[in-house]
Amino acid sequence: MNTQIKKLLDEGKVDGFLAYKIVHGYPFPHLFTKENSRDLESWKATNARYPIVKLLLGKARANPDKTYGILVRGCEERAVNELFKWNQLKKDKVLMLGQTCTGDLAEECECWKPYPTQAGYGNPAPAVSESPTLKRLESMPEAERLAWWLGNFNRCLKCFGCRDVCPMCFCNDCSLEGEKLIAPKKLPPDTSFHLVRATHMAGRCIDCGLCEKVCPANIPLRALYKEANKLVEDTFGYKPGLDDGKSPFTFLGEESMLPPGPR
Amino acid sequence: METQENSFEPRILAFLCNWCSYAGADLAGVSRLQYPSNIRIIRVMCSGTVSPHHVLHSFQRGADGVLIAGCHIGDCHYLKGNYMTIKRVGFVGGLMQFAGYDPQRLHLEWISAAEGIKFAEVVRAFTEKIRNLGPAPTLEAVPRLAMSA
Repeated sequence: MNTQIKKLLDEGKVDGFLAYKIVHGYPFPHLFTKENSRDLESWKATNARYPIVKLLLGKARANPDKTYGILVRGCEERAVNELFKWNQLKKDKVLMLGQTCTGDLAEECECWKPYPTQAGYGNPAPAVSESPTLKRLESMPEAERLAWWLGNFNRCLKCFGCRDVCPMCFCNDCSLEGEKLIAPKKLPPDTSFHLVRATHMAGRCIDCGLCEKVCPANIPLRALYKEANKLVEDTFGYKPGLDDGKSPFTFLGEESMLPPGPR
Repeated sequence: METQENSFEPRILAFLCNWCSYAGADLAGVSRLQYPSNIRIIRVMCSGTVSPHHVLHSFQRGADGVLIAGCHIGDCHYLKGNYMTIKRVGFVGGLMQFAGYDPQRLHLEWISAAEGIKFAEVVRAFTEKIRNLGPAPTLEAVPRLAMSA
């Protein structure tokens, strides 16, 4: 891996490459440039996951004319694909190299594609086609399910960690901060906080799981957003993260793309 | 048989589209048709403008049932608005069901401007259904920390 990245940096194909560097025995995200490309190390499979796409977004916004490379897992590649569709990243300014996730990480994440489409480092782990958590929740009787969710939502501190770490959350005016929608100065926040977030994650969430990982109250957010996206897939026929040319802006079909004016 | 004092009056919020269902409700009024007064009506230009946020906010603020009524399929004043309504209502109903709320509390109906009788019947039936279901479980969180303004 270090040879490939070094080549890209030396050839000037990318101005910087976001990969990982071992610091005190743990991999940390690091921006490699031509100057510090000596620090590049050989690839090793890890379970360490970071919001590296958010770092890429920050870099791309600060330097819109530079090209960046990024080492992506399956979910991170889905995030970058989706951000291309939402015009947050430019396709010609991002170069992806892929790495696979280990088998137990794929199982923990219940990931439907724990490996990126790009040529990858590592062996692809088996995908989890049906989420056992969703199955278990759907088989619960309604009242028990409600009590389960309310008990979980009751621990929310409104830290906005879920929103801040999410690679797909980039709105300047977040609805969750809207005073008319979510009653302010209240802890725990109303349940509609989570349902509104789930509604916003419909068709957007790429199931990276960072929200659940970062939540200080261990609220099982992934299950909620997985269900929202399952509904979107059933109702609208759209699965976020695929590079199939479909965009959430084309749900209505051709009509939505026609210019305004009389027919 | 013991009589049960049922003092629960359901609070129902209705989003009616301006061109069809609101006119249908107006016709019901002009025709002096009787229907329960538990319903509060909000006029929207198209049922397609009803967002999942509106539905969630309604339940958050204490509605026991939400009724969304629009033009019949193919008759939407804006051509395809009601196609969006079906999909959106399906989505938000599914999400609420997953969270543990009864999806019967959200109802979608197509009511045209000439169907005043149908409007009255729909409201009557829906109010009865919500009355039997009881008050909606509260979306209001139990405040552990009350912060004064």
